Amino acid sequence: MKKSSEVPAVPVSGIVYGQIAYWVLLLGLIVALVGSVICMLSDGNPGGSAVLDHVWSGDDVPTIWETCAGLATPPRGHWYLQALSHGDGIAMLGIAISCMAAVLGMWGAALVMLRSPGQTHASLTRLYFLFALIVAIILTLSALGILALE
Amino acid sequence: MTDFNREMEFVSEAVNEASQAFVVSSTELFFILLSACIVVGILAVLGGVGGGVIFTPLMMCFTPVDSFIIRATGLLVAMAGSLVAARPFLLRGLANTRLIFFAAVPYSVLALMGALLAGYVRESSGDIGDAWIRLSLGIIIASVSALLLFWGKRVDYPEVNNVDRFTERLHLEMSYWEASMFKVVDYKLRRAPVGIILFCFVGFISGFFGLGAGWAMVPAFNLVMLSPIKVAAASSKVLIGIGDTAAVWSYIMSGGIFPLFATPCVIGVVVGTYIGAKIMLKVRAGFIRYLIIAVLFGSGAKLILDGIQKLG
Repeated sequence: MKKSSEVPAVPVSGIVYGQIAYWVLLLGLIVALVGSVICMLSDGNPGGSAVLDHVWSGDDVPTIWETCAGLATPPRGHWYLQALSHGDGIAMLGIAISCMAAVLGMWGAALVMLRSPGQTHASLTRLYFLFALIVAIILTLSALGILALE
Repeated sequence: MTDFNREMEFVSEAVNEASQAFVVSSTELFFILLSACIVVGILAVLGGVGGGVIFTPLMMCFTPVDSFIIRATGLLVAMAGSLVAARPFLLRGLANTRLIFFAAVPYSVLALMGALLAGYVRESSGDIGDAWIRLSLGIIIASVSALLLFWGKRVDYPEVNNVDRFTERLHLEMSYWEASMFKVVDYKLRRAPVGIILFCFVGFISGFFGLGAGWAMVPAFNLVMLSPIKVAAASSKVLIGIGDTAAVWSYIMSGGIFPLFATPCVIGVVVGTYIGAKIMLKVRAGFIRYLIIAVLFGSGAKLILDGIQKLG
């Protein structure tokens, strides 16, 4: 039998990151699946299924956007937020939620490290809080499209 | 041109023609992709690699889909697979959180830079850029297969005698409960400065080519920084989920991810990973590892030939 006194304490920041990332990812995948089903079932939106045909026939990104959405250049940023009335917009929202999993998880982990200073080395906690904070900021800037190719 | 080159060109053209002649409705294609990716997920777990490292080369070799879309989706697949796998490792304390937060800084930055460069190459270099990408990816994939085949030096519990001052200051040492030995394993790490260089390199490759990075991160943790093999595998999984998130947003922002293509691929690999983990408990799957090595080597060789032909 496991002796509880021997088992090392698991860092709370890691647990918080793992739980948030896991559940947000699953939520996002469910939304993406629902959006994809809506897209395939809706007769009035041929764009969604046409996109898959064009992807499979080997067209490049600008050609697909031009053919299926009438856009001269691929959209920048969170284009799906203007397309939530369509199945493919909802599916893309689901994928975006999935990609927020690690962003939210890192903020959760950083906040937990900030609020639980009861470790042996206070300076060490501050150091790893700083690392977590830097990563959380990088992920957030990336998710906001601030760190993106223009 | 040699006979071998002519034969490979013929095979390559036949595969591409067959792919394009394979006419199905979009709904059927959705379910075909879903099923194929479930198989990829199962084989990846049984072969001891991530889904991303199989998905990207296979799709680039055997489908006509644009390489930028494949790399964007491959990165998404690697990220999702890692995020799902991370939770149990963190709950059990197998993943070293200090090591992860420390490594995530260089890995995320360089993965993001790799993804941005991939977008720049797509917009500025056209077919020549695509040819170089195929050639480089082919060399990397062939090297990965060689690494998987010849990497027999992995050490379950490496002994660390001397810790350099930089690593000592970071206090990366931790401990975890090893259920199989019914005891606590205390371990130290070393060579953190070398680790930083490796995290940068692997992060860039992952972001640029849309690959998972477990094939490189596990040896980096285990053989260079001397972490126990289980800690290396667990920490690598968690780290890939964080670093690839930084890179994947760049692909989303440039319109390179198409939800009806990405959704079945991601869900397929995640479901396949679950099924593979269940099967792994019941079967001996050593031969699948060799099958995956062979498939990766074949894919790498074909990508190299594709790249050379396009450059020529």
